[in-house]
Amino acid sequence: VTEIRIYSFMIKELCQQFPQGITDQVIQNDMPHLEPQQRAMAINKLLSLGQLDLLRNSAGLLYRMKDTQTASKMKGSDNQEKLVYQIIEDAGNKGIWSREIRFKSNLPLTEINKILKNLESKKLIKAVKSVAASKKKVYMLYNLQPDRSVTGGAWYSDQDFESEFVEVLNQQCFKFLQSKAEAARDSKQSPMVQRNSSFATSHEVWKYICELGISKVDLSMDDIETILNTLIYDGKVEMTVIAAKEGTVGSVDGQMKLYRGVNAIIQPTGLVKVPCGLCPVFDDCHEGGEISPSNCIYMAEWLDF
Amino acid sequence: MTAQEVRLCGLLLQEHFGDVVEKVGTHLLRNGAQHLRAIVQETGTPMDLVKKSLCVLIQHGACAFSSGRKGPGSPVEYQASFERILRILRYPRYIYTAKTLYGDTGELIIEELLQRGHMTMSSTVKTVADRLTLNMEEGHSMEYSEVSNTFSKLVETHFLQRCPPVEVAGKAVSATPDPATTPGAPANNTTPSTPESFADCYKVPHVTLIGRGKRRNSSEDGEDQRNAKRAKEDPETHGDEGIYWQVNFERFHLHFRDQAIISAVANKLDQTSSEIVRTMLRMSEVTTPPIATCTQALSANEIFRSLPPNYNISRPILDQYLTLLVDDPMEFVGKSGDSGGGMYVVNLHRALANLARATLESVVQERFGSRSARIFRLLLRKRHLEQKQVEDFAMIPAKEAKDMLYTLLSENLVQLQEIPKTPDHAPSRTFYLYTVNQLPTARMLLQNCFKTVANLIERRLFETKESKRLLEKSQRIEAILASLQASGAEPEQLTEVEEMITPPEKQQLESLRHHINKLDSAENQVDETIFLLESYIKSTATATR
Repeated sequence: VTEIRIYSFMIKELCQQFPQGITDQVIQNDMPHLEPQQRAMAINKLLSLGQLDLLRNSAGLLYRMKDTQTASKMKGSDNQEKLVYQIIEDAGNKGIWSREIRFKSNLPLTEINKILKNLESKKLIKAVKSVAASKKKVYMLYNLQPDRSVTGGAWYSDQDFESEFVEVLNQQCFKFLQSKAEAARDSKQSPMVQRNSSFATSHEVWKYICELGISKVDLSMDDIETILNTLIYDGKVEMTVIAAKEGTVGSVDGQMKLYRGVNAIIQPTGLVKVPCGLCPVFDDCHEGGEISPSNCIYMAEWLDF
Repeated sequence: MTAQEVRLCGLLLQEHFGDVVEKVGTHLLRNGAQHLRAIVQETGTPMDLVKKSLCVLIQHGACAFSSGRKGPGSPVEYQASFERILRILRYPRYIYTAKTLYGDTGELIIEELLQRGHMTMSSTVKTVADRLTLNMEEGHSMEYSEVSNTFSKLVETHFLQRCPPVEVAGKAVSATPDPATTPGAPANNTTPSTPESFADCYKVPHVTLIGRGKRRNSSEDGEDQRNAKRAKEDPETHGDEGIYWQVNFERFHLHFRDQAIISAVANKLDQTSSEIVRTMLRMSEVTTPPIATCTQALSANEIFRSLPPNYNISRPILDQYLTLLVDDPMEFVGKSGDSGGGMYVVNLHRALANLARATLESVVQERFGSRSARIFRLLLRKRHLEQKQVEDFAMIPAKEAKDMLYTLLSENLVQLQEIPKTPDHAPSRTFYLYTVNQLPTARMLLQNCFKTVANLIERRLFETKESKRLLEKSQRIEAILASLQASGAEPEQLTEVEEMITPPEKQQLESLRHHINKLDSAENQVDETIFLLESYIKSTATATR
């Protein structure tokens, strides 16, 4: 038995010599007298002590010196916990769902839950609620920042979509662009100059919003561009892309996006000036029925207006 | 022929021509082309009434006759045109346009022609002169030549056209006597000849019309009767017998379309740009065929020369405006070449599509709110999107976005497209994409417009019927007042009669009048929407052919 201990010690020294890991071949070369069975027992002992990491690469098995800090953390844990911890670590900052941990480790559900509780209490991992499905919890290492796709980025705070915040930003951007367009129109210069001065780059809008200071969170230019896109879908703003020299402020990949406030091209159409155009029971209405033009209450109200 | 269209046409026919014509007209609309005997049998109206109704319909161009389908010996078949009957809704707009362009004279000419259907130039001129003289001061009357001038101007700009003559074939079929065209058998070909296919369509005949409008005074009642009789036997010919004129609706529609485009440009850009577009459209009024997708190419030099004189903008500024119009994302104007300082066209089809799209968006916005409108516009732009993408782009919380999408889907404004990943179409493994198809949605909204107008007309008839007793009473009182005034009664008697209508009744009458006016103007407003959607649908149909 003491031989095993000596062999383990020698293998550990080898590992320390090669921090990137050693293969069976290397051990065999170093200690040719060591039989495979004894070697295996020594390696197993080191593994169980948590001092060695077992990895697999294309050539075969690899043994690597484990980081002493994590080694000390895991000292009280057993193999299963280590396995689960490794899986969670691999998931990076996107986190991993408990069912996926089960698939990857092949452990029964009750075991997984116990281990997760253990790790959480040891403050090694944490649970983060995903914004897409509010019941789902993903686990990731304690000190990692959750990824944008999980928390939703700047628009979500504590898993709630901040509609008022988005609305406020929407209105502020629109006012900025509208006032710029009006200033350009009042300047009475030649039409080309008027139109060009009514444009604002996304960078300008971003600077304006940052200076307004209405946002507690730092907003990037991409965030501002998503807000400006919603203004386009509201029909209040139009966008063009122009080529810009690399290095000019706000240009991305040699182009800049310009935005400008516009007016609607028609007044609200005739159909909506009539109660029938907005009526919720339009399809049920016909002469002689319960709902008909003759006894329509919406029409009666509208006529007396 | 949808049920809504038939219902609307029935209501219009009933209001303008009466019950019998309505019965015959709706029967023809529902059942397609029919010959006389079938109409008599199926509607159960006597033969002479059917003949008279068909007369009326043909006079107004709402019905056409052609030889039977079963061969040259079969009876004549009659077919009603639903489009033409719908135009009745738009009469006020035509009359108003004529008034703005050609003054009161033009307004009355168009009004007379719309009321009578087909008329000769001489009878039109005489009637209009008489009407104008009635409204003028004592001692003045309207010259026939003035009215003729306006008439000729209307013909020159193609607002009026000759009715196509019907060819006289060998056999005389005893169909309905047709006063509008020379009596005879119908043409042997079944294709309807358009008015434009005749060379003299817009030629004003040489008419000898000398005289002035006659004033009719109410004290000359007896003389009037004799005059009327004499007019009927009037052997005066003016050299244009058999040449009948009708209103050219298509030309009015082109005018309305141009107006819509110009106002859209004015809203989007500014007044000067809209003036430039107006000039371009005016220059290509008679050179562009009605179904073209864009006007003829005009060079910048021509545009500069044709600008109205009070718009003194310099040549380089004009070039800048034209460049801005071309660059605008709405694409009203396009550049087709560089000769002559730049060749520019107005993209008619694109403009109509934009106007139709704005109409659809406005309906969604007013009906469902601005956030649903945001989703609608988003889908129009991006064509196909998944549920999650819609939420992300529109920045609307997931629950609300889902709700709005399902509402739009249930109203059929938005469609769902399934793209299966596996052959068994399992729901968990299929993509569901939301999309908006502009053309079918426009058609659906058009049908809604028809139903709306029919609803408005019915409500108006209902309101009138409800207050029938009151209206009759007020009419009787007015008649009594008029006769008392004519026979020189004292003021006390007049006030006594006036007080027969109590104040609450007066108020009721007032509110009734207010209601009817509102319903009338609402019909005109919905008609504007109908016009835009119809033009867009027609333009798309010809553009994609």
